[in-house]
Order: sequence, then structure tokens, then C-alpha cells
Amino acid sequence: MRMSPDSQQDFALAFLGILFEGVPFILLGTLASGFIDVFLPPGMMERFLPKNRIAAVFMAGLLGAVFPVCECAVVPVIRRLVKKGLPVSCALTYMLAAPIVNPITALSTWKAFQGQQEWMMTSSRLLLGYFMAVGVGLIAARMPLSSILKPKVLSAGDAEAKSHEHQHGDGCCGHVHTGEKPDRLLASLRSGMKDFVDVGVYFTIGVAMTAMFNTGIAPGAQWLDGLAKNPTIAPAALMALAFILSLCSTSDAFIAATLDKFPWGAKLAFLTFGPMMDVKLLFLYQTVLKKRFILALAVGLFLAIGALSMLWQNLAVSLP
Amino acid sequence: MRAPLRRLLSCVAVLFWSGVLLYFYASGRINSYLAQDFRLIVFAGGLGLGVLGMFNLLTAWQKADCGHDHGGESHDHETGDVHPLVAFLVMLVPVVLSVAWTKDQYSSATLSRKGLYDTPAEGASPIFAASMPPLTREMIEKGHGRTEDGFYEFSLMELFLATGDRELQSAIGGMKVQTTGRWVEEKNNNKAGTRKRLYRLFMTCCVADSRAIPIVLEFGKTPPHFEENAWVRVSGTMGFPLEKGLLQPVLVVDHAEAAEAPEEDSFMRK
Repeated sequence: MRMSPDSQQDFALAFLGILFEGVPFILLGTLASGFIDVFLPPGMMERFLPKNRIAAVFMAGLLGAVFPVCECAVVPVIRRLVKKGLPVSCALTYMLAAPIVNPITALSTWKAFQGQQEWMMTSSRLLLGYFMAVGVGLIAARMPLSSILKPKVLSAGDAEAKSHEHQHGDGCCGHVHTGEKPDRLLASLRSGMKDFVDVGVYFTIGVAMTAMFNTGIAPGAQWLDGLAKNPTIAPAALMALAFILSLCSTSDAFIAATLDKFPWGAKLAFLTFGPMMDVKLLFLYQTVLKKRFILALAVGLFLAIGALSMLWQNLAVSLP
Repeated sequence: MRAPLRRLLSCVAVLFWSGVLLYFYASGRINSYLAQDFRLIVFAGGLGLGVLGMFNLLTAWQKADCGHDHGGESHDHETGDVHPLVAFLVMLVPVVLSVAWTKDQYSSATLSRKGLYDTPAEGASPIFAASMPPLTREMIEKGHGRTEDGFYEFSLMELFLATGDRELQSAIGGMKVQTTGRWVEEKNNNKAGTRKRLYRLFMTCCVADSRAIPIVLEFGKTPPHFEENAWVRVSGTMGFPLEKGLLQPVLVVDHAEAAEAPEEDSFMRK
């Protein structure tokens, strides 16, 4: 596709506008993630969870407020925690909720939607994200682990559970010292930069696509505008877009806020579904979860988030 | 790829982004891209990226031990999802091209998409209305300055929004007003070629979410020549005639002259 000088000018303006808006929040999110990655000792998270399984699932949905991790960083963390014996229902709940129910995402959503019912959008996103994650966790609690986890992860979890007792006896739970003096600040800033670059790549692609749709350069931009007017198809279209764009939850609100032709409920669906299921997560989930479970998760989230977003929009509109 | 080289590529990409953010902030060009409350955040973000990039650049060859095990997985906090060279190119190429291409404003085609030729009734929204102070006839006289020629000084936004408010229409209709905006062709109801359009952008957060706020200029003869998108100050009599079933904000122009660009290109939410 060859762009005319006018199209280049329009693309550049929209692209840089969205990029400038989102980059500081990505930096904040990835630095926090880098510090958690390096400084958080294994076993720390389990200490926050109650022993009752149901209560633990509800609590796991709130752990993102204490350990704010974006969706890219959360999967490796979950993989490690499941291997170390964290209940799968809690791990899944944390995995789905943490990218949304955390202060950095809340701040970026509130900031991005200034002048567009920012409080309503931020609270709706957090609540819908939390309850969807808890719902998945509660369902997973009733399922056999063999239908959720990959056999490799399942067997590693068993082995780890056995060695875990031994490590507790040693008084050094999962904290193996290598003999070298740890330089955690350097390691965390390196991890932070790695996360920034990873997220930056997806964000750049997402911003480029959004800028092309926003300025009408992309083929199908008019068609997408047409979908925005259909109250049923609009949330589905934006969830599909979120799936393809694979944006980070710390910055996706800046994209959603510019989709001005779409209704409020569709944007909520975009902001809730995207951090739970997208192209890159599909690959990351496969390192822990069975393909059949991922498919069921994707379909379930798509239908439930779409329906609840539409319902919530109708309720919100009817409020005085 | 070896770890130090991978780190170097990441550092260059991060430092480049830092430089772009800081340049746009320091040069003031950021005003065309973001609403006021985001600009300082961009400055902080640019500085933060600079520190992150420089720190990692200066320590690229240094070994770092995080001090914990990884449950049998490879001991690595650095390997990313994407090949480092691909990541480097994806982060740099679109930004370099955009910095080279941008003119800090939209072309007329995209302005059309952003409501330049929509009627005010279609383009008006609660966001616009919320950004306006309450306006009564008394306030119009007290709250607006007057030029030596007796024209009341109005913002383009007030004239645009009055089209959707009968009270304001009756108050402002027939008044001698002066306003400033950007000059573009009029494409609607302009068979005689006596009309132009004046607009400014309304920005909520960033330029991608901005909307055009236009009024119609009627000269009654061939309009004077100004460059497309030039800043122009116009004085004349304001009216809200019904055209093809829709109310339009039309300023019958007595005088038009080139104007200095205002401090802020766009209107902002309050």
C-alpha cells in the first residue's frame, strides 16, 4: 500500500499523538513489573491467600493491586507459581485479573478517558475484569487439573510440591543462592527494559493500526465505522480488534479512547477482553494451559464479556 | 544473539524514544499532539526512558545475579518475546517515519472525517457542552471584549455550539462578532463560490481523538485568498439560517485578515 503525502502526514500526527500519550504509562508498568520479577521471592504471593479455596479465589483476583503485573509478565509468573504449588484456580484468577485490577491500569484508564465518563469507565473495567476472572477461577476449581494444565506443568508441579517440603525444612523456601552477590537493581532494570521493549513492539504495531483506522487510511476503515453503529456487533468487533492488536493493559485505554465512533459498552468490552485474551497471550498460555481449555476460555470470555458489556451499557444509559 | 548486543539494541531503541519525547516537549510541538495535562507526563516519561536506557547501556557488559532460582527454568530475566533485531526495527522505523512525515496538523481529507463538514447538531456532544461556561445575554455583553470597530470577540466554539441552543441563537444571532480560526474550502451549499469555512480542533486527550469545530463564512462575493489552514481573523454579522433543513452557523463577513496562531492550536476540555 503506497501512502500519499497527505496520508503520511495524517498517519504521523495520529501515530505520534497516541504514542506520546501511552509511552509514560508503559514505562511505569514495565518498571513495576521488572521490580516484581526480580525482587518478589517465590512463595510471597501464597502468603496473601486465605486457606478456604473459594475465599482464596476471590482474594487472588485482588492480588494485582499489590503485585501489579501486565498480561505479558503474568504468564511466566503464573507458570512458576503453579509449579510451586499455588492452586490452579487462584493462579488463573490472578492471571486474568492482575493486568486489569491494578493501580497502573486504573490510572491509565482514568487518564485516557478524561472527559469521557472516566470514573464510570475505570470502575466498570475493574469490576468487570475482577468478576470475570473470579468466575473463571471458580469454574476451574471444580475441574480436574488434567483438563486445564499441560502434562509437563502438571508433573513439574507434583515434583515441586515434594521438593517444596524439603526446602521448607532447610528454611530457604525456593530461594537458592548461587554464590554470586546478587545485583538485583541491575537485574530488575534489565528486566524492566526487556518488558518495555516487548510491550513497546506490540504497542507500536497497535498504535500504527489504530492511527490508520483513525485517519481513514486503512482499507476497511469505513466498514469498521459502519460496525460501530450496530449495538450487538460493535462490542464483538472491538473484542476482535483487541485480540489482534495484542495491546498491553497499561496502554490500551489510550487506543480505546480514540475509537470515538464506537459506543461506550464496546470500548468496555475491548478493555476487558484484550488483557485476558489476545494473539500473543494465545502463545503464552500454551506454555501452561491445554489447547482445549484455552479455546473454551477464549469463547467463554468473548461471549460473557460481550453480553455483560452490552447489558451494563443499557443499564448505565437508563440510570438517572 | 549475544546478551550485550541484545541489550545494546534495546538501549538504542529506548534512548531514541526518549529523545523523541524530550524533543517534542522541549520544542513546544507537543502542544499540537496532547492536551495540557499530558505534556508534563511526556516530559517525565522521556526522562525516565533516558535514565533506563543510559543505565542499561553503561552496564550492558556487566553480569547481574537476581539472587533467586527459577524453578528449574533457564535463569533469564531478559529474553523477550520477539527477536531483538525485529523489536529494534519495529520500535524505530514507524517513529522515524512519523517524525519525518508529520506537519503537526491534519490534511483536509482527515479533517472531513473528523467532522469539518458535519452540521453542528451532528458534531455537538456533551463533552463539548461541558467544556463551555454557561452563557446568557448579560454575560455575552459583560464577558466578551469589544474591538474598536464594535465587534464582540467570540471563540469559534461558542459560535459553533450556539447552533444547537435556541436561547444562544436568539442572543447571538444578528450580533457583530469577531473570531479566529483556520481557513479551509467550503464544500457544502457553495455553488456561487462565495463561501469559506473556519475551524479549530477540539482535543479531549490527544490529537487522534480531536474533532473539528467549524463555522461557515459568507462573503457575498469572491472570498479573499489565504493559504489552506492559515490562521485568519474574521469580523461580521452572525446568523443561524436553516439550509436544507439544518441550522448552520454562518458569519456574513465584513472583514478578514491573516492572524497569528494562538498559543493553543486546539480547544481543550476544561
